[in-house]
Amino acid sequence: MEKVMIKSLLISTFIITTATAEVPAIIQNNCLACHTKQKIPSELIYRRYLLKYSTNTKIKQRLFSYLKKPNKESSIMPKQFFLKFPEKESLDLNDTILNKSIDAYLDYFDVKKKLILP
Amino acid sequence: MLSSEKRSLFRFLSIYLSSTLLLFLLATFIFYDYHKHEIIDIQNSELGIEAEHITQRLRQLNQTFTKELTYPYQKPFESAIYNLDKEYIFGSFKPSNILWNKEYYQDENRLFHIHPLFPYYLGASHLIVSKNINQDPINNLIKMSILFLFIAGIFFTLLGLFLGKLFIAPMKESIEKMNKFIEDTTHEFNTPISTILTNIELIDTVYDCEGKQELQRIEIASKTLSRLYEDLTYLKLNHNYHREIKSINISNLLKDRVEYFNTLIESKKLKVTQHIDKEVVFDIDKNDAIRLIDNILSNAIKYNKKEGEIDIILNMKNLIIKNSGIGIKKEDINLIQNRFKRANSSEGGFGIGLDIISQVVERYGFKFTIDSVYNKSTKVYILWKK
Repeated sequence: MEKVMIKSLLISTFIITTATAEVPAIIQNNCLACHTKQKIPSELIYRRYLLKYSTNTKIKQRLFSYLKKPNKESSIMPKQFFLKFPEKESLDLNDTILNKSIDAYLDYFDVKKKLILP
Repeated sequence: MLSSEKRSLFRFLSIYLSSTLLLFLLATFIFYDYHKHEIIDIQNSELGIEAEHITQRLRQLNQTFTKELTYPYQKPFESAIYNLDKEYIFGSFKPSNILWNKEYYQDENRLFHIHPLFPYYLGASHLIVSKNINQDPINNLIKMSILFLFIAGIFFTLLGLFLGKLFIAPMKESIEKMNKFIEDTTHEFNTPISTILTNIELIDTVYDCEGKQELQRIEIASKTLSRLYEDLTYLKLNHNYHREIKSINISNLLKDRVEYFNTLIESKKLKVTQHIDKEVVFDIDKNDAIRLIDNILSNAIKYNKKEGEIDIILNMKNLIIKNSGIGIKKEDINLIQNRFKRANSSEGGFGIGLDIISQVVERYGFKFTIDSVYNKSTKVYILWKK
């Protein structure tokens, strides 16, 4: 019985790891876990930041200050967005982990990696 | 056509054609530059249109969330997108040395257009679109400009020739009239002078009459007239005269000419010293050599004191004729030298003798110099080769 349990635990761990292999754990845990659950479009938010701030340096500054103290006024998303989605709560992360998470987020959705020539 | 006419026509054509050519070159350059800019502007506007097209595609891509985003790329245009920090994001090419402060610019072969973007689709704040310069219309423009210059050049050369001939026609007519006059006059001179000289020689040989001195004076005057006739004929014929260039023994010729002037020399009781090297021979037309020697000798005799001296030195290097004459003032020497240098320009008119000397000297590449001490002596040098 124990052997069967261990075996099934190993198999499920392998399946979960394989399925989420492309998403870095830091994003998965600190960002996507809630975003996926609440169906909040992460890439759309990134593109809106890009549209307004252009460079990763500026996006990072804005994102960091928003995540430290999120509110509707400083959000990149329009007010109508909050009619459908809940207002974000403050993250319980220290600055180092928050910075790393933002870097990973920006890197994960980076358009440079997606653009190809026809 | 006379050489003076040719010179005048050549000068007129040079000034006229060079100024016309300069004007046309300037006009053609302005025309070329204007149209080249027009061609470049048209090609730049194509870059602008393509930039708008790419912007629309970037806007669409910014709202696309697929795994891959296909960058809008359409030949012959190359493009690239940059963020606000002017860092390269993506593109079909990566230009170097971008002139960010210019909307349009070009290098040797390519045109560039920097198109600002806002909002920053995919983070792009600048889009650079480029394409190779289409040289065909520019080459056609160059061909057209050259053809225009060529046709204008031919037209204005022909017009210049026509105008030049028109302008020199009165001068040509005057010269022809003058030549005709000299020809007629000298022709009329020839017979009586020959008759006088022949008869003087006959009287001197056959009759032992009194009045030898008077006869000598008549001979001198007749020889002077004879030389004047020769000089005028020389000047008249100089333009069309067919020269027979052959080896002439200048030593013998010089002795002959001194002998010819003997009557004149004796009448002025001049003492002539000759240092003539034997066999000074070079290629020259005999008449040219005679005219050169006669004119220098006659001046040396004419402008000498009575009982004066004449030194004649001839060698392979030069001919020097020195007299103990009245000399020439320093300022007059400069005048002679300057005029001599310009003798073949249209100045002229300062004595047949010097004019003839200058013509011979220039024709054979000799060098003429004159030294003089006023009231003491004059020394004329003819350096055979420059």
